[in-house]
Amino acid sequence: MRNQLFAALSGLMIVSMLLSACAPAATPVPPTAVPPTQAPAQPAQPTQPPPPTNTPVPTKPPAPTATPKPKVARVTFQQEPDSLNPLYSQMWFVYVAHGLFLTTGLLTYNEKNEPIPWIAKEIPSKANGGISADDKVITYKLREDAKWSDGEPLTADDYVFTWQMIMSDKNAVMSRDPYDAYVDKVEAKDKTTLVVTFKEPYAPWQAKIFSPVNATQAIPKHILEPVFQKDGTIDKADWNRNPTVGAGPFVFKEWQSGSHLIFQANPNFWLGKPKLDQVFIKIVPDDAAQLAAMKAGDTDFGVFISYQDMPEIEKMGTFNLVVAKSGYQESWFMNLSTDPKTKGHPALQDVNVRKAIVMAVDREKIIQDLLGGRTKVSATFWEDTPYADPNAKLLPYDPEGAKKLLDDAGWKVGSDGIRAKGGVKLKLRYATTDKDVRKNTQVLVQQMLKDVGVDVELINHSSDLFFAGYADGAPIATGKYDIEEHSTVSNYPDPDIAAWLCKEIPSDQNPSGINSQFICDKELDALFAKQATTVDPAARIPIFYEISKIVNDKVYWSSMWNDPDWWAVSKNMVNVKISGATMFWNAYEWDMK
Amino acid sequence: MATASEALPRIAEEAIATREPLTPTQLAWRRFRRHKMAMFGLFLLALLIVYAVGGAFVFTEAYANTTDRTLTGGLLHGPSLKHPFGTDPTGRDLLARTIYGGQISLLIGLAAVSVALIVGITVGALSGYYGGWVDSILMRFTEAMLNIPQLFLLIVAAKFLGDKVHNFQAFGREFSGSVIVIIIIIGLDSWMYLARIVRSQFLSLKEQEFVTAARCTGTSNLAIIAYHILPNSIAPIIVNATLGVASAILTEAYISFLGLGVRQPTATWGNMLENANRYLETAPWLWFFPGLLILLTVLAINFVGDGLRDALDPRAMVE
Amino acid sequence: MGRYIIRRLLQAIPLLFIISVILFVLSVKMGDPLATFGGRTVLKSEDRKRLTRQLGLDQPLYIQYAVWLVGNDWVAMDLNGDGKPDVGEDGKLIYGTRKGVLRGDLGTSFTTKQPVTEMIAQRLPNTLLLMLTSEVVILIFSLVIGLISALKQYSIFDHVVTALSFIGYSMPIPLLAIGLIYVFAVYFKRWGLPYFPTGGMFDPQAGPGWQQTLWHMVLPVTAISLISIAGYSRYVRANMLEVIGQDYIRTARAKGLAERRVVFVHALKNAALPLVTVVGLDLPFLLAGAVVTETIFAWPGMGRLFYDHTTRSDFPVLMGIIMIISVAVVIFQILTDLTYTYLDPRIRYD
Repeated sequence: MRNQLFAALSGLMIVSMLLSACAPAATPVPPTAVPPTQAPAQPAQPTQPPPPTNTPVPTKPPAPTATPKPKVARVTFQQEPDSLNPLYSQMWFVYVAHGLFLTTGLLTYNEKNEPIPWIAKEIPSKANGGISADDKVITYKLREDAKWSDGEPLTADDYVFTWQMIMSDKNAVMSRDPYDAYVDKVEAKDKTTLVVTFKEPYAPWQAKIFSPVNATQAIPKHILEPVFQKDGTIDKADWNRNPTVGAGPFVFKEWQSGSHLIFQANPNFWLGKPKLDQVFIKIVPDDAAQLAAMKAGDTDFGVFISYQDMPEIEKMGTFNLVVAKSGYQESWFMNLSTDPKTKGHPALQDVNVRKAIVMAVDREKIIQDLLGGRTKVSATFWEDTPYADPNAKLLPYDPEGAKKLLDDAGWKVGSDGIRAKGGVKLKLRYATTDKDVRKNTQVLVQQMLKDVGVDVELINHSSDLFFAGYADGAPIATGKYDIEEHSTVSNYPDPDIAAWLCKEIPSDQNPSGINSQFICDKELDALFAKQATTVDPAARIPIFYEISKIVNDKVYWSSMWNDPDWWAVSKNMVNVKISGATMFWNAYEWDMK
Repeated sequence: MATASEALPRIAEEAIATREPLTPTQLAWRRFRRHKMAMFGLFLLALLIVYAVGGAFVFTEAYANTTDRTLTGGLLHGPSLKHPFGTDPTGRDLLARTIYGGQISLLIGLAAVSVALIVGITVGALSGYYGGWVDSILMRFTEAMLNIPQLFLLIVAAKFLGDKVHNFQAFGREFSGSVIVIIIIIGLDSWMYLARIVRSQFLSLKEQEFVTAARCTGTSNLAIIAYHILPNSIAPIIVNATLGVASAILTEAYISFLGLGVRQPTATWGNMLENANRYLETAPWLWFFPGLLILLTVLAINFVGDGLRDALDPRAMVE
Repeated sequence: MGRYIIRRLLQAIPLLFIISVILFVLSVKMGDPLATFGGRTVLKSEDRKRLTRQLGLDQPLYIQYAVWLVGNDWVAMDLNGDGKPDVGEDGKLIYGTRKGVLRGDLGTSFTTKQPVTEMIAQRLPNTLLLMLTSEVVILIFSLVIGLISALKQYSIFDHVVTALSFIGYSMPIPLLAIGLIYVFAVYFKRWGLPYFPTGGMFDPQAGPGWQQTLWHMVLPVTAISLISIAGYSRYVRANMLEVIGQDYIRTARAKGLAERRVVFVHALKNAALPLVTVVGLDLPFLLAGAVVTETIFAWPGMGRLFYDHTTRSDFPVLMGIIMIISVAVVIFQILTDLTYTYLDPRIRYD
């Protein structure tokens, strides 16, 4: 009978093994349109003559050799994608994958984050008639040769359909921005002419209308419209998990949850079949596992390389470290609320105190010690964009100057070494997420501030609590901090940002507000309102110089360091150019040695 | 006249008769002493406590929490004369941090077990003594708690309570609120086993004659539970509690590794392991020393617990 | 016997109810599922307002629990927030789509929008594979090591094994798992020895297959088993020693039976019995998967699913996993009791 027990256990074990060994192949691939051919790379297959664009052109077909090993580029992701449908995910990793299989943005951005036309034939402007005189109507002319991987043409109808899905109340899409507030209607004049009409002139249109940057690029109408009509929603569409039809250089092949995603070369890609045969995305749990995979040669792309791993990667010699400017800034925000429910420390109401606090911190040293000196402090929030004021000045590291400012403001050093004024001690709550490098930063900052007589309490929250909403009593949204630090960005590459607007202040009447610094500056509000409708970049840039001056002078924002994305690309990869805005934009040009 | 051969046995008899019998505690201690591993464990534990508590007289807490400004070439250094255990990524001396971290780790272990003892004994005693519907309800509840996989409950509870307790001051030092949270969570997760043991002890002991006798003399129920039955069931409770301390220390390490345990600014051996995962090759001293200390402490406690189990075994008492 | 089973099943119902309530309250209140919807930045305020309504998160707690339990397909929905029930194009009221747990609908994940049952079904075989294999390994090794230790009590083997066992179950598992990876995967490869993989279920270039899976299973199974073997082998040893001291063993020896028969047929069966039931009770908890092991070895199992979704406060997934395991625990407890009765004729339940 014990034998029977063992036999039963072994039987169960064998059954499970068979189940899981079979599982990958059993992931149902629904027979939608004609599936793309999955033939392995065959040499001597002539590529079609590429259409005239300003992109590099594949030349002669590869010379026939003995069946070569398939060219598989491997990428490691530290997070599992939640959904591959752009409307249902805001995960950065998903946007990376979109560059492989979807690529239906009207424009895209190159490695210098300059806009280049993609599905649109050219960037609309006043000169070519793409932008109307009153700035309210933008007309895109689409490429005639753009097509989905199943052969269906990619037309303006797909974009109209995408807009309808975003706006439908039956779809719980992640974001309707900017369509809900700014877009009046989207129409297809004909198959290759797309017309977007705005309620008011909308300055950030380039980066945010059907753009891969905010994941509102086109989804296939011929696949998803039938689903919408049948189920009443596309929330649960199979395409969201198995997007077998896309318009990118690679076609989705499979996704095994928790393990990997596979993308196969698309022979029908409208710029010609890519040189690689497959891109394999492996999901690893954390940085340490990614580093181990890099050392073992199990991956070709490492993402979000942390500063402490960089010396080791360079020592390995098999990877190139590539920096992609993404507009992210590791920033300090101070709580300026005066409402008793959410107020910050009263000392922060004095701009000189705010300046002193920043001046007391040796940010360059922190960058040296914790980040290997590989980045720098930013002078403005819009660093690395045309909107950054080249004349903006950084607050210097000047502990003596800081002490003087604090003394002049009435905060005198007490017997315990901590400053106080009117019986109130200068003790600040410094909150951030629980990321390693931030915790270490906190330790160093605490000591630096102690040197000038400011006591600091260190607080850490997990990210999902840090970014939670006012309604959930989240610590930042309800003002339970004095200084908070995290890495954030505008609508990069567009400079627009809503975090300092008066109307975004969270409260009981407005629990969804995101202005968790509780700043209400009428001058700033007016400038932001003006830039939002100034479509001409030449006129818009000076507005941002003014905005930047206010934000810096009043210490609404302070830079800890410029936080670009760091990639590690294997030296076997050829022709890889990574964009900070649209990461894998040139995947169709990649090759491997 | 009595001969020498008669006198000696008589003297011996008298000597034996007047010598007091050994108490159960003394008997247990003698058996414990014979257990070589247990004695070694006790010795090791004593050393570790001296390290964690006594070390505080050698290094101040301020020293443990301060970056060494004299470091050149980055803040992360391996073992050296000035820093025998090396430094952490922010330049703090690791030896000093393991001393203060050890205090917290040991504190968490003891405090968590105390919480478990209080809840477990109360539930088990009431359940075993009163029986009936009291027993039914309490046991249903205990079973419900037991059915939830321990780690899931820990993770969810740690997340739920994680940030709700503020940092507090005690003994002139500042502690993170998460210390209290972890103590409560680990305690509330391990009382069930104690409750079951206590209950079964009570079930068997309450039928004994000394209990009936106590009732006859009018002793209140509470007094019977606390002064009569409980002391007689102390043996398995002690063993379980001792091993529970080891288990609590390991659980704290486990939970801190997942990032849900004790937060800054308080250091524990467990949360020193949390960051050290990424430095496995580049800075092995970061995980080696806290890891070794955890291992030695848990090992010592397990030895002692094993020895206690043998020493307090009721069957052996009948010898 | 039948009445016993029915009684246990009925007792289980209030149990499961209590568990579900406790954990529902904890999971819903532990964080904000919308917090990570914004990707690397904060979710925009209009989107937050809309999604709170569309996902039913603005309802009071007891209503959310009721919807989770019995569904909302009998309730008219108001998804566009205008205060009036929605009306479809055909003029009829639009109802909710959830059937509730009691009808088998565990809900939908907030992050992936997949049905929870589907997500669990994808990961369950992987965890089962790892855990059942580990259990078998644990059983075999614990029995063998415990047996030899008992037979050769106080020998060098016994002392070494005892010392190693103590170290084994005093070791924190994160350390053990990472140590195994670095020694057997990274360093073995450097030294040119046949090496094990760093993680995952198969090698990207080789593709999935049972050989790949077996090869990738070695390190995780070792990590999980070592600690348990350390504990259980001592348990077997203690049981074995107790059994060997019994009268019936002495009788068997006196009867002149071969030592091997005495040990394997008489002693071992009785010593192994408690181990089998202890292990049997462990099985459903293994479904929880060793969270840390699955995380470190990038094994796509249920433990990792739970942890990943905890950090995003995705409580439908968490509740789904917990309920499935709780039900499994109840079932396994009954099965273990029955098995024990079957194996040990002295025990009878009525």
